[in-house]
Amino acid sequence: MPDPTPTAQRPRTNGTDESGGSLVRAESLVKRYGSVPVLDDVTFTISEGITGLLGANGAGKTTVLGLILGLHRPNGGRLEVLGRDPWHAGPEVRARVGYAPEHHTLPPDLRAAEFVRHVAELHGIPPEDAKTRSSDALWLVELGEERFRPMGTMSTGQRQRVKLAQAIAHDPEFVLLDEPTDGLDPTQREVMLELIRSLHRDFGMNIVLSSHLIDEVERVCDRVVIIGGGRTMAEGTVAELRGTAAETVTAEIDADADRMAALVAALRASGLTVRVDGRRLVLSVDHDESDAAIKATLDELRDRCLDHDLGVIRLGRRRLSLEDVFLEHLR
Amino acid sequence: MTDQPPAPPEPQERARIYDQGFRRYHGSRTGVGGAVRSLVKHSLRQALGIGRSARYKLVPLPIIFMAFVPAIGLIALAALIPVGTEDFLPTYAEYYALVVAALYLFAGLVCPELLCDDRRTGMLGVYLASPLDRPRYLLGKALSVMLLLLVVTLGPPLLTLIAFTLQNEGPDGFGQWITVFLRILASSAVVGAIYGAVGLAISASTDRRVVATATILSVIPGSAIVTDILVNDGGMPPVLRLANVMFLPRALVHRIHAESGGWPLGDNPTWTLWLAFFGWLALSTTWIWFSYRDLVVQR
Repeated sequence: MPDPTPTAQRPRTNGTDESGGSLVRAESLVKRYGSVPVLDDVTFTISEGITGLLGANGAGKTTVLGLILGLHRPNGGRLEVLGRDPWHAGPEVRARVGYAPEHHTLPPDLRAAEFVRHVAELHGIPPEDAKTRSSDALWLVELGEERFRPMGTMSTGQRQRVKLAQAIAHDPEFVLLDEPTDGLDPTQREVMLELIRSLHRDFGMNIVLSSHLIDEVERVCDRVVIIGGGRTMAEGTVAELRGTAAETVTAEIDADADRMAALVAALRASGLTVRVDGRRLVLSVDHDESDAAIKATLDELRDRCLDHDLGVIRLGRRRLSLEDVFLEHLR
Repeated sequence: MTDQPPAPPEPQERARIYDQGFRRYHGSRTGVGGAVRSLVKHSLRQALGIGRSARYKLVPLPIIFMAFVPAIGLIALAALIPVGTEDFLPTYAEYYALVVAALYLFAGLVCPELLCDDRRTGMLGVYLASPLDRPRYLLGKALSVMLLLLVVTLGPPLLTLIAFTLQNEGPDGFGQWITVFLRILASSAVVGAIYGAVGLAISASTDRRVVATATILSVIPGSAIVTDILVNDGGMPPVLRLANVMFLPRALVHRIHAESGGWPLGDNPTWTLWLAFFGWLALSTTWIWFSYRDLVVQR
């Protein structure tokens, strides 16, 4: 049965529809395969923009994507995608979502243009429009000249771009990209990340980027959801996740365990946030990131080392990365 | 007299940009029905090798030709022999005996092509991430198989009917013509349904196309051989012949055309033949559903 409702008249996820402005809302989500728990109490919200779904391999990212697409039934909790329960409204939800799978196997004898056109038709684009949009999407991902090549003759980088093209050809409300840079060399990876950025910047597409590569999530995403051990470890913008400690001072101290413990206690008594990593101390600096705050931290460290008659082997300052946040949550 | 500058010419046509590149889509959408139609269209093209290299056309097209050869021969023969001496020509029901090999060869080729390849190439994951769910995917594939098998089950007898009609040797009167046409339609559907269902059930059990094809080409004639041995040499009851999936549709076709025959199931009552037919369909459908219901899909 044709659905003649133009896209422009559909409820958009602009904060005015039933989903309250969020594309995806998960509350205490639980998923088990048999008796094996994969997700246990996962809570997150995905809003407009580019959201990174970050986690180690096997953390459950692909399962989260499967739940968003309505392909798995959650064992507990609540999930809303575009204001609908994806398990009960799977076809309606999937018609409005684009998905680029992680695997690289695609029909080898099928031409890229035909594949993208077919996927666009599957998502409700009429055949004539699908043909045009397939071509346009492939030109956008810089495969215009290659669009009539069978996919079996394409490189991994080209196949990744075909997957991106088929995910966007039907103009979805948001796109799920599962490890879109997997198997790419650094140059291809840069091109792919720029493509993803441009989809949001130039066409206003909302994107969920699932990846285990922290630096690419940090570079591309506005918001991040970190999943680990079947739980949501952190969620927010990159700045929020860095928290008040946007910058750190690291120091390697020449001390045995007892004297190191005494030094740490003294530093903490002075109001500093200190993490111990062997002989290395990581001191968080307040969010103002001013030189005065750094200087005050360094002065405090110097004075306490003098008090305890300890030598400093190495001293430096470093901007806190998403990797630090990720590792901190893993500990 | 004053010299006035000439008026600028009226623009005849505004400049247009035809190729606007990728942009947002604001047109209508076809819904789930469009997804199923696209799946069927794509499956038909895939099975017939349309839009693929020549080697993908090498097998299906000769088999389709094989199914049509007897029909073309009969039409030629009917045109050459004197009117009134055409009684030796096979009836519409008997036609299927001439092309049974082509029918099950085509089923053995088409069903694995449409099911196994999707699992091997990751297309199943792409389909299930679209508005299609598993039942609709399987429905689309079953429709595709049925349409493809109708090319070889319906095409030749229909061609024969039309040619005989044009040669003035067809059924007498419009009513009789419609009756024969409907019988041909029903016969083709029965033959296509049973071979298609068995072919899909076997293809649902493996993602290796060669294995599925070999199994289909063994199971269909194998059922005839095994039931024959069990009944004739093993002394088992003749009702066991209903498991003969190769000749069951032929026997039903004879009943549909109100003709006697349909060896070796000709002695079975009609209702038992229909029961066996729907039994095979139910068994195959159940098998396909359970194979796909919990199938872990590569994503």
